[in-house]
Amino acid sequence: MRLLEVRRVTKRFGSLLALNGVDFTLAEHEILGIIGPNGAGKSTLFNVIAGLDAPSEGEVVYRGRSISGLGPDAVCRLGIAKTFQIPQLFPRMTVAENVLVAALYGHGATLTDARRQAREWLAFVGLRDKERAAAETLSVAERRRADLARVLATGAPLILLDENMAGLNQTEVEAAVALLHQVRERGRTLVVTEHIMRAILGLADRVVVLNYGEKIAEGRPADVMQDATVVKAYLGEAHG
Amino acid sequence: MLRALPLTETLSLTALAVLLLLPLGIGAYPVRLATVIFMWAALAGAWNLLAGYAGSVDLGPVVHYGVGSFATAAFMLKLGLPFVVSAVLAGVVAMGIAYAVGTPTLRLRGAYFAIGTLALAESAKQLALAWDRLIPFPLTGGSAGVSLPLASGYVGFYYVMLVLMTAVTGAALWLQRSKFGYGLRAVGENDRLAEASGINIHRLRRRLYVGSAFVIAVTGGTAGYWLSYINAMESFSAAVTFQMVVMTLLGGLGTPFGPVLGAAFLTLISEYLGTRLVYYYLIVIGGIIVAISLFAPSGLSGLLQLGRRRRLEATP
Repeated sequence: MRLLEVRRVTKRFGSLLALNGVDFTLAEHEILGIIGPNGAGKSTLFNVIAGLDAPSEGEVVYRGRSISGLGPDAVCRLGIAKTFQIPQLFPRMTVAENVLVAALYGHGATLTDARRQAREWLAFVGLRDKERAAAETLSVAERRRADLARVLATGAPLILLDENMAGLNQTEVEAAVALLHQVRERGRTLVVTEHIMRAILGLADRVVVLNYGEKIAEGRPADVMQDATVVKAYLGEAHG
Repeated sequence: MLRALPLTETLSLTALAVLLLLPLGIGAYPVRLATVIFMWAALAGAWNLLAGYAGSVDLGPVVHYGVGSFATAAFMLKLGLPFVVSAVLAGVVAMGIAYAVGTPTLRLRGAYFAIGTLALAESAKQLALAWDRLIPFPLTGGSAGVSLPLASGYVGFYYVMLVLMTAVTGAALWLQRSKFGYGLRAVGENDRLAEASGINIHRLRRRLYVGSAFVIAVTGGTAGYWLSYINAMESFSAAVTFQMVVMTLLGGLGTPFGPVLGAAFLTLISEYLGTRLVYYYLIVIGGIIVAISLFAPSGLSGLLQLGRRRRLEATP
């Protein structure tokens, strides 16, 4: 069954064409990678799906229903939650409260349930020992895990991860990839943007390649990496 | 935040019991002084809910105060309703206005919301001054104001203001551990992230804005009846707003008892210095406010909790 359909989505910022007629579909329990050079439109695409930006043309359909024009809070409650490229926190609340808020409002849990879920998701991402610390005291790697715990706690079946592994070392990347496989095993569907190719190869079932706001390739990760257009987009004409 | 809650609750309930019995044991002057403190604690406390918990710095809460004063007067004078009924109805009127006004203005972020509400308060004052000339249904008496019936006694006002202060403080305590409160704090700390976590930030903020408008309006209506005279220049004066802001900041923004401390401190020190330094006391108070802002930026409640916080941090 199709969980998400992005139909000919175009996004203009003034005269800048950030996305140009991007199309793709997503099946339930799939892990889709979105790759492309800096400025290719990956974050804009995420913002359009998550309701942070409205598309200039085209629409986003979730479980057969158009969600373009809904605000981010409504999109989240419907079932799509997103992490931020620069991990975001409620700085003076504790780590547990950060996750608690998402459980309370993402799927309307009661306080008791939300507290339990917050503890579970923090244990899942390995931050249980930090639950009472103020969120602003976390390191960058910990912030990314806290952000992941937050989106998981919303209960959203579809999770968008915007460069959730940026700034991590190799061991941390491997741990993160393993963790995301577990997220899928728990019934979630993932869309992941990433710069780290190794991470995408080990993680995604399928990738969509964006360049200058257009989809230039789509397919299995290993195939796409061989694709001449993709190599050219990343490395320039001389290598093509 | 509030792990020592049983202690806090015991202490506040004891204090409340003492305050309930206080008028029996003391003279008229201290009761009136306490009434003034409760009034400001209720007003500053209502402002603190919005600014301290939801991060929306409202510079126009005096609108609700003015609406409350004039609506209470109108219900009493034109419809002959008893005071308490009039004050509650005035609170409902203020809620309606706050709902209508809050829907667009609460979408403004940060400084724009502050400036927008400040401008709103000044417009409301001008409208109140011009009301009787513009509208065939006179309400405000223009610059001459409105006289209310004289109330008998002062103890009734003590209890009404005590109830208002208790309600606001209770609401602040409840916010620290309720779903609504967690949502508001999230909105106050990072509204975009709050939105992305499923919170309808506009609705949450508006609910609080409308609720605090009710308390401020009832307080304004009570103050008007207590003084038995109101006029638009004073009932819509920005000075009321700024006193609410200063008391909250002095006492501790975003803390349940900060506004109470700030209101008590500023009222008592004005009373004390006002009789001793008749001409200079405002200068001295200004100096004290500056000193507290510099040396205790988290306010008086921050000073009082300092020892406890240090101890908490020391234990791993």
